[in-house]
Order: sequence, then C-alpha cells, then structure tokens
Amino acid sequence: MTKEDVSTQNLTKNLKQLSEITTWFDNQEEVDIEEGLKKVKQAAELIKTSRKRLQSIENEFEEIKKDIDGESKE
Amino acid sequence: MPEKKELELNPVFSVSEYIEFLNIGLKKFGAAKITGEVSSVKMGPTGHVYFAVKDKSGNALVNCIIWRNNYNLCGVKIEIGQELIMNGCPDIYAPRGTLSFKAKTIELKGEGALKKAYDELKNKLTEEGLFKEEKKRAIPNFPEKIGVITSKQGAVIHDFLNNLGKYGFKTKMIDARVEGQEAVKEILNAIKSFENKDIEVLAIMRGGGSLESMMPFNNEVLVRAIVDFPVPVIVGVGHDKDISLIALAADAMVSTPTAVANLLNQSWDQAILLLERRERYIIDNYEEIVTDASLILEQSLRTIYEIKDLIFEKYRKIDTNTRIAFQNFAYCLQKTEINLKSLWSKSIVLKFESFISTVSQKIENITKIIFFNNPERQLKLGYSIARFNGKIVKSVGSVSTGGDLDIRLVDGLIVSKIKKINKIK
Repeated sequence: MTKEDVSTQNLTKNLKQLSEITTWFDNQEEVDIEEGLKKVKQAAELIKTSRKRLQSIENEFEEIKKDIDGESKE
Repeated sequence: MPEKKELELNPVFSVSEYIEFLNIGLKKFGAAKITGEVSSVKMGPTGHVYFAVKDKSGNALVNCIIWRNNYNLCGVKIEIGQELIMNGCPDIYAPRGTLSFKAKTIELKGEGALKKAYDELKNKLTEEGLFKEEKKRAIPNFPEKIGVITSKQGAVIHDFLNNLGKYGFKTKMIDARVEGQEAVKEILNAIKSFENKDIEVLAIMRGGGSLESMMPFNNEVLVRAIVDFPVPVIVGVGHDKDISLIALAADAMVSTPTAVANLLNQSWDQAILLLERRERYIIDNYEEIVTDASLILEQSLRTIYEIKDLIFEKYRKIDTNTRIAFQNFAYCLQKTEINLKSLWSKSIVLKFESFISTVSQKIENITKIIFFNNPERQLKLGYSIARFNGKIVKSVGSVSTGGDLDIRLVDGLIVSKIKKINKIK
C-alpha cells in the first residue's frame, strides 16, 4: 500500500480492507504463512493509518465540538 | 353846505340846501311807526308803490311811498280802505317840495284783515301746489350739519340745543328776529346766507303767538325761499289755530324746538336702537354659534377620546400579541437552541463518539485478530512450520521417508531429509 496523506485516507475503505483481511484469516484452513504475513503487514499498515486517521478525526471533532460548545455558551 | 351853515348864526339856504337840511333832520328825528287807512294807491312803473293814508276822522292825511323791494318783502297787497301799520320816516321830495312817508315795512292791522290776507295767500299758494305732499323732501338720515335760524333771545334755542342728541351735530346758527315785519327781512337774509353754506338741513324756529305776531311766517317771499331752498327745511313754529304758511311749505313741520331736535335725532335714535338690536342679535347669534361650536367640540372630543381609546386598545392588543409572539419566538429559539444542543451533544457528539469508539474498537479487534493470526508470533514462540513438497505438513501421513522437509523458523529455513517417520498413536 502506498503511503498517503492521513487526512485524505479513507477510514471506511481501510476498515473494509481490514475486515476483508480478518475474513481472509478466518477462512484459511491452511495457513499460508507467507501470504498470512503479507496480510499481517498489510493489516498492520492499515491499522496504523486507520489509527492515525481516527486520531485525526477525533482531533478535528474535538475542535468542532469546542467551537460549537463555545458558541452555545456565548 | 348845511353843516357849515349850522355853525353860522344866520345862515341862508338855497331851497335844495334847505330841503336837504330838513331831510337830515327828518331822518334823524322823524322815524316812527304810524297807522292809518289807505285812501289812495298807485303802482309806479318801476314797481314802487305810492299811496296815502288818513285818520278815520278824515282830518289828516299823509302821502306814503314804499320801494319795490320792501313792498315785495312785506307780503301785503295795498288796497284802498285797508288799515295799515307802517314803519319808516318822512322825506321831502325836492323837485316838488312834497313830503312823503317812506315806509320800510307795512303790515295789516286788525285780526280780520290779517286772517283774510292769510287765507288769500294760503289759497293762492295752495293752488300753485307749493304745499303739496309730493313736493316735500325727506329729512336726510343721520344729518350732521344743521343750519338754524331763530332768535338767540328766549328759550327756543336753548330748548332746541338741550334736546339735540349727542350725535356729533355741527350746528350753525344765524340770529334773526322772529317777530314784527323786520323779521321777514332778517329771516330772508339768513336763508340766503345758508344757501351758500355746507348744511344738510335747515331749521327755522320760534315759539307760538297770535296771528298778528306770526305774520312774518305767513310771508310769501319767505314761503318761496323755503320751497326753493337747496336742502330740506324743518319749520318748528308754535301755532294756535292757523298753521303758518312757511310751516306748510316746509319739508317737515313741528310745533316746538324740542320737536325739531327730536326729528333731527330720530334717524340717529333709530340707528342706536337698530344697532342695539343688531348687537343683541349678533351677540345672541354668536352665543348660539359658540354654544353649537362647544357642543360640536365636546362631541368631537368625545369621538376623539373614543377613537383614541380604540386605537390604544388596538395598540395594547397588538402590543400584547407582539410580546406574546416575541416570547413564543424567543421560546422557539430557545427550544431550537436546546434541541440543537441536545441534538449536538446527545445525538451527534455521542453518536460520533460512539462511532469513533466502535471504529476504534473494531480496529483494536482487528489488531488483535491480526496479532493472533500473525504466523511470526507462533514462530517466535518456538513453533515452526514444516512443508513437504511446498505444502504445510499437518500429518505424518503426508510425508515420506527420504523426502525433503523444509522447516520454517522465525529467523530462517532449515532444509532437511526425512529419515524416519514415527506415528503417534
């Protein structure tokens, strides 16, 4: 997976890929270690970016919340 | 000259000087009033009248002459047998040496004669139409400039002035005798004098008296002068039985000076009355208008108050409704804000936080799944993966002795040969 800017990464898409990876693991009768490792690496990367993206979304949301709450207090 | 000769002790006069001397004396000392019966009469070609009067006994006679002007003024037509009273003085006519009594005035003597003369003149002037009502001129309304002919002696002028109203009359008076034959001349002169004066009414007045004393007021010349006078004439002459002829000829006649004053006052008095009535009328009308206006004003005020109350009532309603509307709107805003806050905090924030939590949880779950599924984790624990002919060996039955067995460890690959297979029972 190419490295993308966190702000533009699509969390939903990542989650979907991660979900596919977990499904892939669930469906494996015989573990292909190499493939599994690839999937793990891919998943690790996706998790990392997803966390970052989620953190970024959370921060953004906190900013918005602060802004909204501040306005309502005024 | 007679004067010089008087100074001489024994003057000698010529005839003419002597007659002149005598005439001066006669004029000075011979003036008298005489009475007698007309015995002869002759009208001269120039209008002068020559006549003779004698005593009733017939023992004495005097020749008389009256010049035309005086004759015309006296109002007596001299006839034989008349008894006359004459005023004058004697005079000697130089060319003939005859003595004549020069009468200045003559008047008839005796009640009967006077009455006869009065009646005759009255009839004559009546026939001429001098006394006709249609000839009478109206006394002007509100006269101011009054000409008065009367004697300043006696009560007449005082009565007149005392009764004349305070209406700003401008009175001009000419004093004239009002009794005796001299009165005619003086009254006539006064009338002539007033003809050229700026007056609006002429008043001729005297008190009452006998027919004899009133004879100047029955004079034809005076009657005609009054008829021809340029402005209306009022005659205020008292009378007993016969109205004086100038009174009949006047435009208005009354019998007292007070009545003359009242007549002059009349239009002013009426004007005052009219003014008072008009004033009352105006005041009454004005009061009525003011009362009406007050009523209208009161009604208008009531209407205005009612309208004002209505307007204020409407305003109050509008105000109340507006306040309610504002309150409702404010409430709506508040509610909307609360809803928004609620929506924000309860719905959006909570849900999004929940969503984030879910996602986070999901990522963590996936992480765990990936962690547990990571083959390297098993290898690190000391486990290894054996492959025979490329396939993961899960049973001894899938391998054969002598074959190559590839063993995958965490840090590398061991390629080995299967020597012996021991199956665990």
